[in-house]
Amino acid sequence: MSCPRGRDLLHRWERNPIISVRDVPFRCNTVFNGTPVHLDGEYYIILRVEGQQGYSFFALARSRDGLHFEVDDRPCMMPADSGPFELWEENGIEDPRLTLVEGTYYVMYTAVCRYGHRIALAKTEDFSHYERIALVSGPGNKDGVLFPEKIDGLYARLDRPYGKEIGSIWISYSPDLINWGMSEMVFSPRARYWDSYRIGASAPPILTRRGWLEIYHGVKMTSAGPIYRIGTAMLDRDDPAKVLGRCLSPVLSPREEYERIGDVGNVVFACGAIVEDDGEVKVYYGAADTAICVAIGTLDEIIESCFENNG
Amino acid sequence: MDEHCGRDIVSRWPDNPLITIEDIPFRCSDVWNAGVVRYGGEYLLLITIEHLQGFTEVHLARSRDGRHFMVEPTPFMTATLTGPLSTYQNLGVRDPRVTPLDGTFYITYIADSDLGMRIGLARTDTFAHLEWMALAGEPDTKSGALFPEKIHGRYALLERPNPGMSIWISYSDDLVYWGGSEVVMTPRGGYWDADRIGAAAPPIRVEQGWLLIYYGEKHTSAGPLMRLGAAILDAEDPARVLARSNIPILSPRENYERIGDVPNMVFSCGAVLEDDGEMKIYYGGSDSCICLGTAGLDDIITVCAQSEREF
Repeated sequence: MSCPRGRDLLHRWERNPIISVRDVPFRCNTVFNGTPVHLDGEYYIILRVEGQQGYSFFALARSRDGLHFEVDDRPCMMPADSGPFELWEENGIEDPRLTLVEGTYYVMYTAVCRYGHRIALAKTEDFSHYERIALVSGPGNKDGVLFPEKIDGLYARLDRPYGKEIGSIWISYSPDLINWGMSEMVFSPRARYWDSYRIGASAPPILTRRGWLEIYHGVKMTSAGPIYRIGTAMLDRDDPAKVLGRCLSPVLSPREEYERIGDVGNVVFACGAIVEDDGEVKVYYGAADTAICVAIGTLDEIIESCFENNG
Repeated sequence: MDEHCGRDIVSRWPDNPLITIEDIPFRCSDVWNAGVVRYGGEYLLLITIEHLQGFTEVHLARSRDGRHFMVEPTPFMTATLTGPLSTYQNLGVRDPRVTPLDGTFYITYIADSDLGMRIGLARTDTFAHLEWMALAGEPDTKSGALFPEKIHGRYALLERPNPGMSIWISYSDDLVYWGGSEVVMTPRGGYWDADRIGAAAPPIRVEQGWLLIYYGEKHTSAGPLMRLGAAILDAEDPARVLARSNIPILSPRENYERIGDVPNMVFSCGAVLEDDGEMKIYYGGSDSCICLGTAGLDDIITVCAQSEREF
């Protein structure tokens, strides 16, 4: 495939965006922030779709090659319209992240209601049907990503609470996916850097030979608004609250028109990545809150980026 | 009691304030919100002291009659400047609330750090030694108040996450991992508690359910106006509000409530229900002193119930 190297470590597929409103078979406002999985020769992305009404829900896209996708005719998950989740999802469901843990696919997502954002958890067998499990955080928390393995016998997740207006990445643990605790801060925005204003987990952590690779998003605030970029960090395999390395430069920054122009311009925001057998990493990201794109790198390069020392 | 104090449901002790910085055996900036418990024939106040440097710690004050207190010179709960807790409480500990349960005394408090506010949990058997237990939740949340009984076999905690400024409840099997969070009460537009509420004293079991003394804030152009109100929560399902006072039970009126570092504030972290049905509510005035107000339990319950009927 042709992936001309750009100025960023990840290079964009030349036919980005891979999914935009035009590709969605029903009326909607935008499609962005999708979480991918590669299973039995088929690629799926659970897409965040913002309807014309203004709230978000999920739809499923399928592909044979991970680049050309078809979106199902109907949404795959809507905000709950009854039951215990209804109140918490009244303003939509956003930013799904898919993780396979012990043979089960879990989707962590953001539930939005009058009290703010909470992290919610559902599971799925076919990516078309979802069984909600629990709301797993209080309000004021988002960007929850579940680790694909238990740590010391406990489920673990990264998330992004919002203490004192600081958006840091935290970790929490759970014996049962329902009750969560032992929360610790993992890493914070860095003054002077591209991620000085706010950070959050993006892709669910990927186990590598050096530890847990976390592809995260970092925000710098400008007088015209935020710039969202993608960065990398390496967390200790046994104690993922320990940061072993962190990129100095972003691996992807908004540069192309489809990243600059849209409902929320100057945003690249990943919700997942696929590591292929040959070490190629496909990072799926939302561009300008308006379309889905893919950028590609090698696992080795991406791991190295966590340990770069020449900003 | 003093006649001119009779405009509120709660009557002020005529010799208020009980404790000011003049009663502290060392130089300090302020004395704040105190938790209270009867133990060993004494009334124990756990008072928040703000040091001149700006951080807060908790000291014990002891009394035989609940009115005349001696403040201990060494802190009972220290700000944690070193060790693993220092990340989460380097700016201090404050607003302790005491809950007798499991034959011990649990203390919920605000752990304050550069990363935000969390609810800390500690315990003591004799008030001679303190055991730090765990930090519950992620920032920003405060006003943690543990129920003095388990609800359907689970510990239950009221808290006030910052988004929405509402009172929430969470549950735990072990005081470490928390879940099942939901909203209990929200601010009411147009009322005295229009902008922010939180649990004041830990819930008290009464015939009608759980009596909750809470604080409510209304924003004014000069800043917050902080008052105390009351509500009754369902005994079996405390997320259900059975009755809520439309009027405050105590409002800042006296000079010691109007004048101080944070003026126009009455704020409680604890109350004692005497055998004769008298409630002793210990409250901070203007973040600068500790005061006592009393009311008949029946009067407080009546004000909750009657208020409900006014709708």
